[in-house]
Amino acid sequence: MSGVTPADLAGHAFLRGMADGDLAVLSRLCWVAPVRRGHLFFTEGDAAHRFWLICSGHVALDLTAPGGRELIVETLGQGDLLGLSWFVPPYQWQFSATAVHDTTTFEFNADAVRAACESEAGLGYELLQRVMAAALSRLQATRVRMLDLYGASGAVRGGP
Amino acid sequence: MSQATAPALPARYQVVERQEETHDTVTLCLRPVDQPIPEYRPGQFTMLYAPGIGEVPISISGTGPDLGLVQTIRAVGAVTRALCACTPGRMIGVRGPYGTDWNVASAAGDDLLIVAGGIGLAPLRGALLAALGHRELYRRVVVLAGARSPEELVFARELDRWHRDGAEVAVTVDQAAAGWTGHVGVVTQLIGRADVDSARTTALICGPEVMMRLTARELRALGVPAARIRVSVERNMRCGVAECGHCQLGPLLLCRDGPVIGYEVAMPLLAIREL
Repeated sequence: MSGVTPADLAGHAFLRGMADGDLAVLSRLCWVAPVRRGHLFFTEGDAAHRFWLICSGHVALDLTAPGGRELIVETLGQGDLLGLSWFVPPYQWQFSATAVHDTTTFEFNADAVRAACESEAGLGYELLQRVMAAALSRLQATRVRMLDLYGASGAVRGGP
Repeated sequence: MSQATAPALPARYQVVERQEETHDTVTLCLRPVDQPIPEYRPGQFTMLYAPGIGEVPISISGTGPDLGLVQTIRAVGAVTRALCACTPGRMIGVRGPYGTDWNVASAAGDDLLIVAGGIGLAPLRGALLAALGHRELYRRVVVLAGARSPEELVFARELDRWHRDGAEVAVTVDQAAAGWTGHVGVVTQLIGRADVDSARTTALICGPEVMMRLTARELRALGVPAARIRVSVERNMRCGVAECGHCQLGPLLLCRDGPVIGYEVAMPLLAIREL
């Protein structure tokens, strides 16, 4: 028993509106995972066997730049999906993820969830839509950041 | 007619304090030497004159002691570079205040949501301070601020005070190194986490136009009516009194009809490439 009920999952923004049957399947494949600030969820290059739904706290996705400097790529928080690489081959993390504050998540066995998606196409399509929505949202946010809106080209003198 | 009521004549102000916000942005505290300009309303701007160099429109960030003004300037050209270089004791010219204001009081009884990008926080600071000065009039006062990096966040030294005075403050940056415990991402991502009550929120937005458009779009998607979203739009203000036409945006002369305009008015104008 994971201790997580379908009702628990239904309250998470990422799964809001999902059918009870699908939530029941997922609830058997996850558990509550509270971690302390500084906890390393995964490391760039490692195999992606887990994913997380953040219930509280913040997690930074980071990347080590030449010279050993770590750059934060994005911060995720309550209601967010942590981990996309578990969903598509080669199932390998492209960034690292570290808890910025004490954080509580639903932690999922990604291999088991993928297997459930293979056997239940409805669940697979439902999850695909939600993962795609999360990925699209991050892609759009990344595009906006690439515009460097606050740089010199987007400058205002101090208004108006 | 006194200088204070003659909009074409600059009043003399002395720089009494200079605070470096970022590598290219400075906040000046100005004190009137003669008669001060009329009292400003948050959102309005002045024309600041660097003697011998030129004049630029700059939003008012607040008031200082002795009927003074607080103005935050980013050095992006000859005039703004000269203004940013002004040290205490230097004299500059001030005309104004001009334009429309945020009408902060209209949010009384409801939630006030302030969304700023970059130096867009400067025109909103006065609105925030006005709301915090009457904190009991508002349910929530929420500030969401985006910047390029932690080092380029303006008014960083004031965030804790705003929080103590009753504001919920969240900051996000585009780029950060390890050790930054704030958010990394675009400011629109903070909106989804701000638990916005769409029926009772008045939103004030200032920043680059793309950022304002995306922010307003996000708020509209949550159900905030366009009529309760206000943006501050900048064009090339010159005269400040709607005579020269340099600041025309469609049917508007922004030095008179702006800079603060309702999003229902701004939305179609900001979407036109040629304007």
